[in-house]
Amino acid sequence: MAVQSAARGQRKKTGRIGRAAGYGFVLPAVLFTVLFEYYPMLDGIFHSFYRWNGSTVEKFVGLDNFAEIFRDGVFWTSVKNMLFFLFFQIVLMIPTIAACIVLFRIKNSKMQYVYRILLCVPMIIPGIVTMLLWQFMYNPQYGFLNQLLDVLGLQQLQQLWLGDPALAKWCLIFIGFPWIGTIAALIYLAGLQNVDGSVWDAAAIDGAGPVKKALFIELPLLKGQFKLNLVTVLAGTVTGYGLQLVVTNGGPGFATLVPGLYMYQRAFGSGTSDYGYASAVGLILFVIALAISAISIKYIRSEE
Amino acid sequence: MDRIEQDVRWGTPASVRLRKPARPRAWGELAKHAFMILVCLLLLYPFALMLQMSVKDTEQIMYEFFRISSPYHFDNYARAWSEVGPMIKNSVVMAGGSALISIFITAAAGYGFGKLKFPGKEPLYWIVFAKMMLPGVMNLIPSFVLAWKLGLLNSYWAVILFAVGGAQPFWVFVMRTFVAGQPQELFDSAKVDGAGEARIFWHIALPLLRPVLSLSALNVFLGVWNDYIWPLVTIQSFDKRPITTGLAYLSSTHVGDYGPLMAGYVIASVPLFLLFAFGMKQFVQGLTGGAVKL
Repeated sequence: MAVQSAARGQRKKTGRIGRAAGYGFVLPAVLFTVLFEYYPMLDGIFHSFYRWNGSTVEKFVGLDNFAEIFRDGVFWTSVKNMLFFLFFQIVLMIPTIAACIVLFRIKNSKMQYVYRILLCVPMIIPGIVTMLLWQFMYNPQYGFLNQLLDVLGLQQLQQLWLGDPALAKWCLIFIGFPWIGTIAALIYLAGLQNVDGSVWDAAAIDGAGPVKKALFIELPLLKGQFKLNLVTVLAGTVTGYGLQLVVTNGGPGFATLVPGLYMYQRAFGSGTSDYGYASAVGLILFVIALAISAISIKYIRSEE
Repeated sequence: MDRIEQDVRWGTPASVRLRKPARPRAWGELAKHAFMILVCLLLLYPFALMLQMSVKDTEQIMYEFFRISSPYHFDNYARAWSEVGPMIKNSVVMAGGSALISIFITAAAGYGFGKLKFPGKEPLYWIVFAKMMLPGVMNLIPSFVLAWKLGLLNSYWAVILFAVGGAQPFWVFVMRTFVAGQPQELFDSAKVDGAGEARIFWHIALPLLRPVLSLSALNVFLGVWNDYIWPLVTIQSFDKRPITTGLAYLSSTHVGDYGPLMAGYVIASVPLFLLFAFGMKQFVQGLTGGAVKL
């Protein structure tokens, strides 16, 4: 490349001092990456074959942790829950796409901008506030849902919501209604903007209806953006657990437990410090996430 | 298309109207607006509810949930501020510190990897770069043990150092790309004038990087600002808690005291609102890691 050849021409001038300067510039970044990223990662892989509590207990147990996980009913419950969330998180990508297509078709560009800004508002609110607000919405005594049912005279339909093992999972899915993801939306809108304007004119002249137009023009154009967001949803739902940790802590019982949260609880939950076992759960998630990332790199790169 | 729209506006001959009826088009626009307004209302309703409840007392919330009536309890904000104010300070220090330190380290590395030549450059770069592909899900526990062994628990540094570490792979990659693209003549002429690498970096590379620097600073800032799990395990002492774990803690200890809690949520949302108001475009780009422009 041009940069390299230019650098090669410089070699004579840059003596030992120049070389030392090079290390000086990059070493902090390398050290931070190695110490705070690689070391914990490798330490976690290493200790997933150990019984470990971070200090006094540190005993090699081979594959015992994994054998135990395989027989652990709670772990499999958490996997089942995770698959439930995964299915709905993928389905719930649709509202964002639909909203972006409608938004993009609005002719009045000023109004389009206004809607765009409004869609950004949820990102200004700290994520924790949104989660706590929704937790409040489900509060059986004060919360929005039971208050609404009260006003409508439907008291018999009032629920414990997050306190009901059968409903808690659905409540978590419903959080964020109408399920417009700001970052995903911005990515889709950017995708629509990059498109050559003549495509739209051609479609309008063909007299295609709005739904037909979406299916045959906009959706194919959004394929790349969809894949990008899909990878985010996949990796986020398989390994993530922030929402469950804040809103239900996996409860009631194990009704909303997911593997990532199980890892967290086995390590930091009340009374337990099973760091080795938790690391083994983490390693399983790590391998799955790595596979997703590898497949996605191949899949996304190959088509673009 | 323009022509057809004009025809609609100024009245069209019957023949044209048959081919492209004006009515469905206008209704179509209206339907789109109605849809978007509905979506925005539903999306923002919880936040409107938050504002509405923040000036009510518990009884007003219990019995007049959907109405807002006097007396307005603005004192909720005073009560909330005494709790949430220190948390905001903690969050600003941690997020701001992380952003500031990480932009200098990533920019320096970007310069080193992008413009300088030294043995082992490529392998070192690949060590940093490869971490971008490796998931961080299992880092939590060993990172906690590391922070513990380094004596960082209950200190801002626990959050800052690990956030700076986490920012490296992606932002070193970005900075290197940008520095490598900067015109070589500038660097050559500075070198002829006898400037050292440090001066060249400071006076030439860094100013040219300014847009990327603010982008990465904002991105790191937002990441720390919204982080919940890491400060939850590393920062236990209440006076050092950031807004994320602090608000969750207040919510679990002040059950039923919703007026002040909601006021606290509102206060905690103000800093990002200000950032957004003053730099909307940069904010959106920082949010998406620069992938998207508003």
